[in-house]
Amino acid sequence: MDMITDILTGFVSQMQKPTLAFLIGGMALAAFGSKLEIPEPVYKFIVFLLLMKVGLGAGISVRAADIVELAVPAVAAALVGIAIVLFGGQTLARLRGVTQVDAMATAGLFGAVSASTLAASMAMLDEEGIAYEGFIGALYPFMDIAALVTAIVLARLSAERKAAANISGQPGGAAALTVGEGHGNSNAQMVRGILLDTFRSPAISALLLGLALGIFARPDSVYESFYDILFRGLLSILMLIMGMEAWARLSELRRVAHAYVAYGLLAPLVHGVFGFAAGLFVHQITGFSGGGVVLLAVMAASSSDISGPPTLRGALPEANPSSYVGTSTGLGTPVAILSIPLWIILADMFIGV
Amino acid sequence: MYQATKIVIITERTILDGVTKLIEQGGATGYTHVEAGGKGSRGVRSAIRPGISGVMANVKIEAIVRDKAKAEAIITSVSEAYFQNYSGIAYVEPVEILRPNKFEV
Repeated sequence: MDMITDILTGFVSQMQKPTLAFLIGGMALAAFGSKLEIPEPVYKFIVFLLLMKVGLGAGISVRAADIVELAVPAVAAALVGIAIVLFGGQTLARLRGVTQVDAMATAGLFGAVSASTLAASMAMLDEEGIAYEGFIGALYPFMDIAALVTAIVLARLSAERKAAANISGQPGGAAALTVGEGHGNSNAQMVRGILLDTFRSPAISALLLGLALGIFARPDSVYESFYDILFRGLLSILMLIMGMEAWARLSELRRVAHAYVAYGLLAPLVHGVFGFAAGLFVHQITGFSGGGVVLLAVMAASSSDISGPPTLRGALPEANPSSYVGTSTGLGTPVAILSIPLWIILADMFIGV
Repeated sequence: MYQATKIVIITERTILDGVTKLIEQGGATGYTHVEAGGKGSRGVRSAIRPGISGVMANVKIEAIVRDKAKAEAIITSVSEAYFQNYSGIAYVEPVEILRPNKFEV
């Protein structure tokens, strides 16, 4: 009983902290029908600054980290990204009213990482004075890219299988098989295309630039005097935007199957558990910190809202963006952000932070 | 003034690059695009608040060609390439232009 009271009081005090309070404030404004508009260039700039901060910070710490300490969580992050997509294929894809390609697109977004959610969790850990590995931002692309590539490849393969099955049911099925063999080459080409598209996406390119600058240059002075200082203030504005956006996108969900609502509400928590378990495992091997475990869980729980959707819209044109964007931005992101305190409490119970 | 045909395509911003490539391949010497908002079969799309992902953002693309048959060929190729999966409205309009050499390859 004490534990439940602890969790509840902890949760209420977290709600009053700037990160969650601004998110809920944004949702309330949008629900009220407020005419407040924060223009597109402003939030694009904010997201860019947050990603540069995360990238630079990670790059500066990577310099000091040793390779095993880095490689183990990076592999874990990529595996979690893939596991989330496979889990989506076993759950969401089987629900009524959900097509295979829509399910894979949605699971891909949920496997990918949200910069705003990650930044929010870093700010919360900073406020609580919980330490985490500085290089954690460098794990972002591993999970993000692994999830998007897995989702797109699986969706494409299943579409091809369906097409092949249709042909082989008719006379001349052997011809379809020989065509199928030629696909090894085009699949490699497809993966290359997806990778290129992902690396060129605004989020990953800003993050990788920050990482590279942090590793190869000496940006410490500008990091400390500019990016690190602006971080918290800009994050509060972004949280307000995410709240307003979540409310706006919820209306998209009215036109898609109910299965998406269930997935959007529950999947972030299940995915967070995947990330948390992976984090505990890494903790056993390399002594990964409790804060690091929290951030890995948050990355897994989060779903991409800015860089993932355009990649999917380009790679899986048949998928309905109302279902995957609505589920991710309307439900996935607020649930993931609100769940951050849960991972902090769990990490404290399991390993102490 | 000289007779010419204007192509207008209202579609998703995600495929802007692909559509403008088809327009150029079809023989247009240039094009103009602006952010667009409005209402259609897929609901309301806002030009000012298109949603943070950008996949709900629309553009209106215009191009002028001298030859009507060329204009029709361009919108047909765009429609075949994209409109099965992407939202799109396409039409042509007769227009009068001032400097015909601007629109000839």
